[in-house]
Amino acid sequence: MDSSVHLDNVVMQFGGFTAVQQMDLNIESGEFFSFLGPSGCGKTTILNMVSGFLEPTKGVVRIGGQDMRGVPANKRPTSMIFQNLALFPLMTVAENIEFGLEVRGVSKAERRKTSDRLLELVALEGSGTKKVSELSGGQKQRIAIARALAVEPQVLLLDEPLSALDLKLRQRMRTELKDIQRKTGITFIYITHDQGEALTMSDRVAVMSAGKLQQVADPISLYKQPDTAFVASFVGENNGITGEVVSYANGEAVINAGALGQLIGKAHKPLNTGDTATLFIRPESLHLDVQRDCQIKAQLDEVNFEGSYLTINSRTPDQRTLSIQLGANQYQSDMVSGKELGLSYSVADAIVIAGEAGDV
Amino acid sequence: MFSQLKARFGVPLSVGVVALIAVWLIGMVILPQLLMVDYSFKPNLLPSEIGSDKDRYTLDNYTTLFGNTIHLAIFFKTIWSSVLVTFLTLVVSYPLAFYLAKVATPKQAALCLLLLLIPFWINEILRTFSWYIILAYKGPLNALLLGLGLIDRPIRFLSGDGGVLIGMVYAYILFMIFPIYNAIESLDGNQVKAARNLGAGWIRTHYRVIIPHAKPGIATGCIMTFMLAAGSYAVPALLGSPGSRWFTQIIYNWFFEGGDWNQGAAYAFLLLVICIGFIGLVMKVFKVGLGDIAR
Repeated sequence: MDSSVHLDNVVMQFGGFTAVQQMDLNIESGEFFSFLGPSGCGKTTILNMVSGFLEPTKGVVRIGGQDMRGVPANKRPTSMIFQNLALFPLMTVAENIEFGLEVRGVSKAERRKTSDRLLELVALEGSGTKKVSELSGGQKQRIAIARALAVEPQVLLLDEPLSALDLKLRQRMRTELKDIQRKTGITFIYITHDQGEALTMSDRVAVMSAGKLQQVADPISLYKQPDTAFVASFVGENNGITGEVVSYANGEAVINAGALGQLIGKAHKPLNTGDTATLFIRPESLHLDVQRDCQIKAQLDEVNFEGSYLTINSRTPDQRTLSIQLGANQYQSDMVSGKELGLSYSVADAIVIAGEAGDV
Repeated sequence: MFSQLKARFGVPLSVGVVALIAVWLIGMVILPQLLMVDYSFKPNLLPSEIGSDKDRYTLDNYTTLFGNTIHLAIFFKTIWSSVLVTFLTLVVSYPLAFYLAKVATPKQAALCLLLLLIPFWINEILRTFSWYIILAYKGPLNALLLGLGLIDRPIRFLSGDGGVLIGMVYAYILFMIFPIYNAIESLDGNQVKAARNLGAGWIRTHYRVIIPHAKPGIATGCIMTFMLAAGSYAVPALLGSPGSRWFTQIIYNWFFEGGDWNQGAAYAFLLLVICIGFIGLVMKVFKVGLGDIAR
């Protein structure tokens, strides 16, 4: 069954405010697709347009190739998991799961069969007669998933459903969600501002900012080859050093970063000499030695111990902050505030992108 | 509770406040009611007979009603008509309350609430009289309906129960709208979205999600409207016809025309007790607890 979702030049405006600008996007059938962006970037608006709670100002939403214009929310082949789950508190767990089937006129016996099967899928067998208020946070979460799956949607929409859970539970639910997606083969559209969630679960991620798509790519490409300064800053930790382009040739760019001198990095897009550009180096690609292609001097500010790794915050002579990540076993007792550091990185690990470091 | 008051206002002020409330409750609410209860169990005596053999407690005043078929018929008609008023008020108020709570923008809601409230700045008698004018045989409503060609000749709204029902729905609508509005407003909007998303149409969304949530508010509104309707005097007196007498009018007659306070008090308590019993029964049927209403 074709359960792809197409956004065909979709625009959404509220009064004078444009929440989603001219968006053209194909989400494949059976894909785990995430929208990642800071709050207010328009990602929830997209969910509301796909589910039918909002009609786009311009453009067409297609689900399975079908034009969804004029199709009300209760007639669309989508199912949504809400941020606050929105389980019906006055119904039992089973009634919650069966609600969508009750609406469709499915017989009581059939409904019971489906809810039993789904309770098994989410590992909550025998909880059908419980009240929603008797469940823990993680259990509620799984009932919300079961309820959404009961109507056999073509597309499952998830609006930051894990944000209310504690860390351990969140990590486990990630695995479970991914597992359920594989088992059912339904297209998942996942909304989150948490890059960890987006990167671990998704086949592809769309990074959004201010109603605009910044980049659509698989998690690895997003991390390794960000298209825009915003993506480079928003996805994962990054050090951005802004300067002026000195030269660009053969996929490499040289920038003049003031007191830090000339720095070299890869550039996937051509740059014009004299333009402002930012060189991004991940904290794990900055090394505490001077054996690599480019060197930077800095002074140690503080060391943060994070368990399996260390983060060193440092300051360059021209007051730029750089963070360096090391394995916990590389800790040395002379790493104290004020220590002069010689840092270096490989050109292959640095990337130069036009524009200033994004404000995140 | 007193210790909290004491901590906040000091002893003299706390004692004063509590004493005032006690005087008000005991002197103005409880004692007069007890006096009426006492009246209702005694025969209507001449002053000279007070203290004589005849001055003893009896159930006669209460059994009178059950021997008088006309009064009994009016009694049940009052209960039934009050149920009808409550139902009509609910039918009118629910959509409005839903609109105010979930559909309207804050500005629209504020405007609507203001429009609903303004008429209630005028006293009940005047408001009811204006309905008398609107519903009159040669009044504006008949003129409008005639003008629109919807009717061939004027309707006598004011004979029969029609006028009383309309007047009461209008008089008590706020008592219904506000509790329901409060209840619906507290409903998480995602609940409605979730129901829609799972395929429910509007009727089912209301029936399965919104109304169950609003049930305590609906119950509160219905109880207030029912009690006010059953105990109403002005509306049936002004908008009713001889054929649509309300039980309160009978009670009034016992007190002020028959001069038999004892009989009037007994009738009044019968009305009160039956109404409370009826409400208890309805609450049981709809599975509404007192706790739900007090929320």
